[in-house]
Amino acid sequence: MIFIAPSGSQQTEVAEPSVDIATDEVVDLQVPWVVIVWNDPINLMSYVSFVLQKLFGYPKAKADILMMDVHEKGRAVVSNGPREKAEIDVFRLHEHGLWATMQQDT
Amino acid sequence: MKRRKRDGPVVARENDMFEITLSADDRSTLLSFVDQLSEILAMGPDDARLRRLFPTAYHENPEHDAEYQGYMRDELTQSRAASIVVVKEVLESTELITAAQLHAFMTVLNNLRLVLGTLLDVGEDDFEDDIDENDPSFGQWQLYGYLGWLLEWTISALSGEDN
Repeated sequence: MIFIAPSGSQQTEVAEPSVDIATDEVVDLQVPWVVIVWNDPINLMSYVSFVLQKLFGYPKAKADILMMDVHEKGRAVVSNGPREKAEIDVFRLHEHGLWATMQQDT
Repeated sequence: MKRRKRDGPVVARENDMFEITLSADDRSTLLSFVDQLSEILAMGPDDARLRRLFPTAYHENPEHDAEYQGYMRDELTQSRAASIVVVKEVLESTELITAAQLHAFMTVLNNLRLVLGTLLDVGEDDFEDDIDENDPSFGQWQLYGYLGWLLEWTISALSGEDN
């Protein structure tokens, strides 16, 4: 794991999913990928919400709910789809400085 | 309809244009920080100060991640460099700017804040207002607060909010 965890109190509540090699090897191409944004103590709440509106066209109300999930629960799924689309979404989120990762939605 | 902001440093003008009303001093200070960001970016994504600008993409799969980083990191670096070019132009001129230019300004401010926040090791319960002025990093915390303030105004201008 390359992550250097933020030092915030939220972090203790966030259990990173463990890697299951057995299921990872029988990857079903039909299973969509999910893009997750993780909590970070630096990004402003208004910024996270604005970026989600801009990148995904979400209405402010939806972006705010996702942002609050990130803030309070430590993470939120912000988009999903085929692997290529998920990679593009992750890239655009990284471009905007958000802590985004992707995984197959098993 | 966009209403005119009275006191903010970023103001929505007619025809979807924006004005940054920062003083010449503030502009040159910001420019020097943007130049520092360029220098750090030139050192490559493995610099510890940049870890928030180049996060892991596949947190469950290091092999996939290495592959992803192989083809995306350069693109991410180039995208950041391109935004910096736009922001330098914006700060060197007092002309009205477009939403796209202001968006680049927003992302560069956020990059600066992420790098500075990483250096300061900002945690969930840390606020710039709580830092004692005798703290050796007081100046950096002031800057961190300033960037956050400017970023909030930028977001609110881009969102078309009046307050």
